[in-house]
Amino acid sequence: MSDKDEIVVAVRNLKVGYGQNVILQDINFQVREGEVFVILGGSGSGKSTLLKNLIGLYTPLQGEVWIEGGNLLAARDDERRLLLRKFGVAYQSGALFGSMTVLENVLLPLDELSPLPEPLKELVAFGKIKLVGLAAAAQKFPSELSGGMQKRAAIARAMALDPDILFLDEPSAGLDPVTSADLDLLIKELAHRFGITFVIVSHELASIYEIADRVIMLDGQARTIVAEGHPAELRDHSTNPWVRRFFNRQPDALASGFHL
Amino acid sequence: MSDAKAQDDLDTNLQFEPPGSARVTLRGRLNAETTVPCWEHLEHGLQGAKLDKLEVDASGLRVCDGAGLALLRYLNMGRMTPGASVSVSGLEAGLEQMFRAFTEEDYEAFHQPTPAKCHPLPEEVGGAMRQAASDLRQQVEFLGSVAGSLLPTLLNRKRMRWREVLRVFESAGANAVPIVSLVSILVGMIIAFEAVQPLQQFGAQIFIVNMIGLVMVRELGPLLASVLLAGRSGSAFAAEIGTMKVNEELDALQTLGLDPIRFLVVQRITAGIFLTPLLAFYAAFLGIVGGMFVALGLGYPLQLIIHQLTSAVHLRDVVLGTSKALVFGAIVSGVGCLRGLQTREGPSAVGVSTTRAVVTSIVLIVIADAIFSILFFVLTR
Repeated sequence: MSDKDEIVVAVRNLKVGYGQNVILQDINFQVREGEVFVILGGSGSGKSTLLKNLIGLYTPLQGEVWIEGGNLLAARDDERRLLLRKFGVAYQSGALFGSMTVLENVLLPLDELSPLPEPLKELVAFGKIKLVGLAAAAQKFPSELSGGMQKRAAIARAMALDPDILFLDEPSAGLDPVTSADLDLLIKELAHRFGITFVIVSHELASIYEIADRVIMLDGQARTIVAEGHPAELRDHSTNPWVRRFFNRQPDALASGFHL
Repeated sequence: MSDAKAQDDLDTNLQFEPPGSARVTLRGRLNAETTVPCWEHLEHGLQGAKLDKLEVDASGLRVCDGAGLALLRYLNMGRMTPGASVSVSGLEAGLEQMFRAFTEEDYEAFHQPTPAKCHPLPEEVGGAMRQAASDLRQQVEFLGSVAGSLLPTLLNRKRMRWREVLRVFESAGANAVPIVSLVSILVGMIIAFEAVQPLQQFGAQIFIVNMIGLVMVRELGPLLASVLLAGRSGSAFAAEIGTMKVNEELDALQTLGLDPIRFLVVQRITAGIFLTPLLAFYAAFLGIVGGMFVALGLGYPLQLIIHQLTSAVHLRDVVLGTSKALVFGAIVSGVGCLRGLQTREGPSAVGVSTTRAVVTSIVLIVIADAIFSILFFVLTR
């Protein structure tokens, strides 16, 4: 097996935003192989924008994103295609193609990009669907699935090409506690059994305590990372008042307008 | 017989002994890259072999991803060695659990064909008729709701939201001027060019001006304006309201005690009714200008052209054209809003609504136009 301390995602001096509007700056972090790494922050702190910069959907104003030793932003088209094969992405809404069944959604990247023989592609797709517990729903359309099932199907599609890294945007958002716990279990299984590295954007505390090996905390006002470490460690020992309040779910009385 | 092949990090060894048996030994990384050459090697080696037993030794695998597991499952299901008993052994505990979790029965069950839904013809016809009747009923209900809301809302300045009417006026009317200009002037010129030769046989080319004047004012002006409106704005109304429905904004309006017809539809229909005659006039004017260019090109003086035009087009033609435009405007905006309100759930629902809005608008415009023509013919006979 490979060295577990190998850095698979490295972000250096990243500055993200839209035009003149800087949302985050001085973003530096590294993610190790097999780690479940969570990008944490309040609403509007720029978590999802950062994720879109990491996966190359947006171009940052400054800085570098390295995926398994390749500079995603500076890569030529052919290098970039190879780098894109190293990670999969599951979006917040699932982003499944509505006109295709779950199986067809998972088969799509295999049909388009994989050199595998045809009989194996379907076996791979069905294996992924089985792995996320959706075997009975393989022939269903996304509109026939619950929110949790859609997210599972999205993870199956993201894993279709056996990427080393999975980026997940708010996987637990909008799910009931049981479904959310099921999804947490799946993420832990995939990380520990297959050594898949997870980079997850979330603000669901219960889920973060359960799955995260390490988190970074973004602050929308400071526009940068204000804390890094294990969630329990940050909750108990952080000196940053915003981080403590976030982890201890303390309301901002002034901001909420309640003066008790 | 023994054969071995190394591909990158994978070593595939295929042995045929004792007779009737084969053993595949895999060592290294069985992943997406190495699975393809391994598959080709095994398929070539096992093709045509009469085997009773195939053993796959996977104990030497350091890495086995989804593609590798798929190959092992393919072998385990006997797809490369029909009739032979196959065993896969030596997988690491976690992989073994994954491998066993997916049985051949699972795969077969998943491949069971779902019975095709086939309805007998009478049932299909009945279903289509019921759908058509339901649609008609919804249209009548919608018409009633709009008729009931239109006047009270128009009379109440605060409830009317005139700013929204002006916004629709701008997006559906003012922004449509360039495309209406281009299409109208070209249509005027096309009709003139097409008419020149037949009229020339009778020495009556000058009457192209009379013809274009009448055709544009009575027929093509309102028709062009409303068809372009259906394509540009009727579809936009359906998409706007449909998206609001998908996003539960219409539910929010209703729970706030606001009627979507009064809040969203009345403004669009009012704007549609007022702006279509203006666009129709504009389209007719530019169509005539297009025809006049052709007449000028044929050498007729401007004075004669204007004389022919004023002698051919009368006030009643303008009234007929305006009446048509008013009705067409109401049809396009009303149908656009109705199809938006009828939007169902699902990712393609808004697309379906916009298509239905355009198709229904154009069909109803043509039907209304035919009714106008028959009525006018009967009334002026």
